[in-house]
Amino acid sequence: MELFFQRLIDGLAQGSVYSLIALGLVIIYRGTGHLNFAQGEMALFCAYCVYQFGEWGIHVWIALPMGMAVGFMLGALAEVTLVRPISNKSPFAVFIVTLGLFTFLNWLDGAIWGNQNLPNSGVGSKQQSYPSLFPNARDDFWQPFGVTIRYDRAGILLLVLVITALLFLLFNKTKFGLAMRAVASNTESAKLAGIRTNTVLMVSWGLAAAIGAVGGVVIAGLNSNVNLGLMFTVFIYGSAAATLGGFDSPGGAVLGGLIIGVVENMSSGYAQKWIGQDMKLAVAFVVILAVLLIKPSGLFGTAKVERV
Amino acid sequence: MKSLFTIREGGVASWVIRLVTAAAVFLVVLWVPTRTGAGTILTVIEALVLMSAAMSLNLLLGYTGLISIGHSAFLGMGAYTTGILVSRYGWSPWLTFPVAFVLSFILGVIVSFPSSRIKGVYLALVTLALALVFPQLATWKKLSWLTGGGAGLPAQDAQVAETGFNIGAQARGQMQFFEIFDWGPFGDLRKPDNKAAFFYWIAVVVVVVVYLVCRGLVKSRVGRSMVAIRDNETAAAVMGINLVATKAFVFGISAGLCALPGCVTAIKTGGVSPEGIQSLTVRGAITFLIVMVIGGAGSLWGPIIGGGIYVFVTDKTGSWASDDSIPGVLRPFFGWAKISPSDGIFAVLLILLMFVAPRGLAGVWKQYSPMVVRVLRRPAGAVGVAPVALAVTPNINHPEGEMQ
Amino acid sequence: MSLLRVSQLRAGYGPVNVLDGIELHVDDGEFVVMLGANGAGKTTTMRAISGLIPRYGVIEFEGHDIHKASADSIVRSGVAQVPQGRGTFPELSVEDNMLAGAYVRHGADGVHDDMHKWFEVFPRLAERRHQRAGSLSGGEQQMLAIARALMSRPKLLLCDEPSLGLAPLITQELFAVLERLNRDERLSVLLVEQNANLALHIANRVYLLETGRIVATGSAEELGADDAIRKAYLGF
Repeated sequence: MELFFQRLIDGLAQGSVYSLIALGLVIIYRGTGHLNFAQGEMALFCAYCVYQFGEWGIHVWIALPMGMAVGFMLGALAEVTLVRPISNKSPFAVFIVTLGLFTFLNWLDGAIWGNQNLPNSGVGSKQQSYPSLFPNARDDFWQPFGVTIRYDRAGILLLVLVITALLFLLFNKTKFGLAMRAVASNTESAKLAGIRTNTVLMVSWGLAAAIGAVGGVVIAGLNSNVNLGLMFTVFIYGSAAATLGGFDSPGGAVLGGLIIGVVENMSSGYAQKWIGQDMKLAVAFVVILAVLLIKPSGLFGTAKVERV
Repeated sequence: MKSLFTIREGGVASWVIRLVTAAAVFLVVLWVPTRTGAGTILTVIEALVLMSAAMSLNLLLGYTGLISIGHSAFLGMGAYTTGILVSRYGWSPWLTFPVAFVLSFILGVIVSFPSSRIKGVYLALVTLALALVFPQLATWKKLSWLTGGGAGLPAQDAQVAETGFNIGAQARGQMQFFEIFDWGPFGDLRKPDNKAAFFYWIAVVVVVVVYLVCRGLVKSRVGRSMVAIRDNETAAAVMGINLVATKAFVFGISAGLCALPGCVTAIKTGGVSPEGIQSLTVRGAITFLIVMVIGGAGSLWGPIIGGGIYVFVTDKTGSWASDDSIPGVLRPFFGWAKISPSDGIFAVLLILLMFVAPRGLAGVWKQYSPMVVRVLRRPAGAVGVAPVALAVTPNINHPEGEMQ
Repeated sequence: MSLLRVSQLRAGYGPVNVLDGIELHVDDGEFVVMLGANGAGKTTTMRAISGLIPRYGVIEFEGHDIHKASADSIVRSGVAQVPQGRGTFPELSVEDNMLAGAYVRHGADGVHDDMHKWFEVFPRLAERRHQRAGSLSGGEQQMLAIARALMSRPKLLLCDEPSLGLAPLITQELFAVLERLNRDERLSVLLVEQNANLALHIANRVYLLETGRIVATGSAEELGADDAIRKAYLGF
């Protein structure tokens, strides 16, 4: 029984990372109707930056907002220079541009920081392992009712819930959030209401990238290192989460991420002989397929999938 | 529009041009195995493999408008089929090609079924997931009796070098070189160190086959259905095109064709594993896409040019990061990078192309070559009459649809 | 000086020019109607004035040139549009739709008072204030679109075929509201319709639009007196 809760909590923590990526995807999709293929790589770049800040002696809780700021600027820049000029061409062109951005960012990470896991004493890293936001030493856990809850898992889950709550406030209680929702709902009418839609789009991308940055840092922390391939599978999981929850529902994205995290962990834990570590990704694949076949708009999304 | 030259379709000039081009291609194809070293030949083989894969992807993406970032899985199907059949069951390698095609075809058809209900980018996600799952599946412990697990096929074989190519620890399924008859200009295929030339010819044949199949398909009625689906699915359905069947068919053919270069890669590498053959991982799938887009989506020979360029650039820049081979003038741009700049170059190129030349190099050619040469179509039924200068859109190539 | 002056307006979509030199003006407090058949260019004119599409020519509002201005700044200047097909925000609640309409106003004061005022004018909206706008009936959505446009306290209201798809009774109600606003609050209105039988009674002046050009203009009586025009556009 303890093992069950163990796996549940681990799954929730893992899933929160997927939720963060999914949130970024959903914010962009709602605002622009595009899928940002580069979401994972933007997050990765920020994760690398946070590593670098750590190398310069900056504490991770300061480095994190700095990384988020880098992410925000990266996302905003991408929207203004790359996506917006292309978006009146075909959706194929936008897709290729985000794919190109995906490739470019991954290359850039390698070009700046090299091909190996970081930190790495071989290349002179000062840090022993990737900075974790929450205490994660061997004995940093808490054991209510015999269930082991590690501080870092709990911390991550809490962080994601806080971010989700803040986003909820932003969307529903602020004027700018109303503008974002309006643009997502009907961009032309938003213009007629005097909303600066270009600014809203730019900020949407920036926000999505900043949230993704948190995801990148968290997962690098869980992984104890950052490397070039870190976000490939996380991106797929995040997309699966967004698909499950509904690509235009932020709440759905969070829930979807948590569900997938739990399912992934449970299935690889309980069906170890069959799935184990090797086939975890197949779980995400099956989820995406199943959702798209049964209810393409996801659990909470609205049926309007095609944007005109 | 003024053009420098005007030629008549079917006239002397047009035939001369065709012959000259064919001869040039023929000479290049001959020159590689006979006048260059094994290293170059192997690089060219990589290019040929990429060309075939990109052409197969083009059928699906360029002509039918279905996005796939998963073709590495089909290539992997081909590679593993050949690997398994040859090393575990002692098949002759030649027979594995058609089998790989069929198996991959089936997989493609299966993957196509969800695509009927999934729009654009979702299909991209599904295929991306497929590309990521495939290597995991191949290294799955449960399947290692078939696929060799993480180590791949084969384990080790010290006898490979002597006996020509074989795949398999048991050295079954060998094909002795002296079964191939010796053609002087093609290089002496008998000697073991002309293995590279041998693989080269296999790769060339595959490219030709893939090209012919693509061409045949595109020019057929199915080809027009594909373009109709790409341009407007709803209209296509209204016109009576069976969407599900057409998509399934094209997906299958595309997948099947993509398996063939996989077989070639398996044969050439002598072993099959995700670490050994990068083309069967996601990176491969993305590379096929890059090659296709650069060469020209929706054009038959675009991917061929794209493949050549890709391998050329990758080869030339491959060691720039690790040694000092980078030319001085480029040092400020790339000298600081810890890894080879080719990925970065292509990523930027991809993005730029969407802005200036969305249909790739082939698109640029089609747009600008009419300024140099204009082909006058023979007016129907007026054979031998002086060509009335019909203001026909100068399409030297078959009228392929617009990639918007 | 006219409130709105349009001269030599050319606009279109891509290479196709739909408008071929439009001349029109709206004076302060006027109710102007533009008639035109399908495809004549009514919506294009509206979108051009509101800055949604590229346009060439002269568009002046309160003497200021707005033909290059951005859509949001045009709204801030005091021009609001009720677009064709309602243009509500379907996922947002009725109340949020109205608040979105007030986006250009600084400070929260007056916004809620205005909202209450419009809820009194359109009681059916008040009943549904927390409902998703997409679930409202056609007529209710049209009312919402008008209320939303009015929330920005515009000086000029552009209406693009408000009667489209609505039952005659509802249309009458809407026009009554518009007339009242024009008369009592000096709200200037430029309204386009295909068949403006009802609108003509309120109109001060009428323009006739045909394939991108204004072909006739005059008061409602003058145009009504012309048999050909009456038959073609007014249906009687």
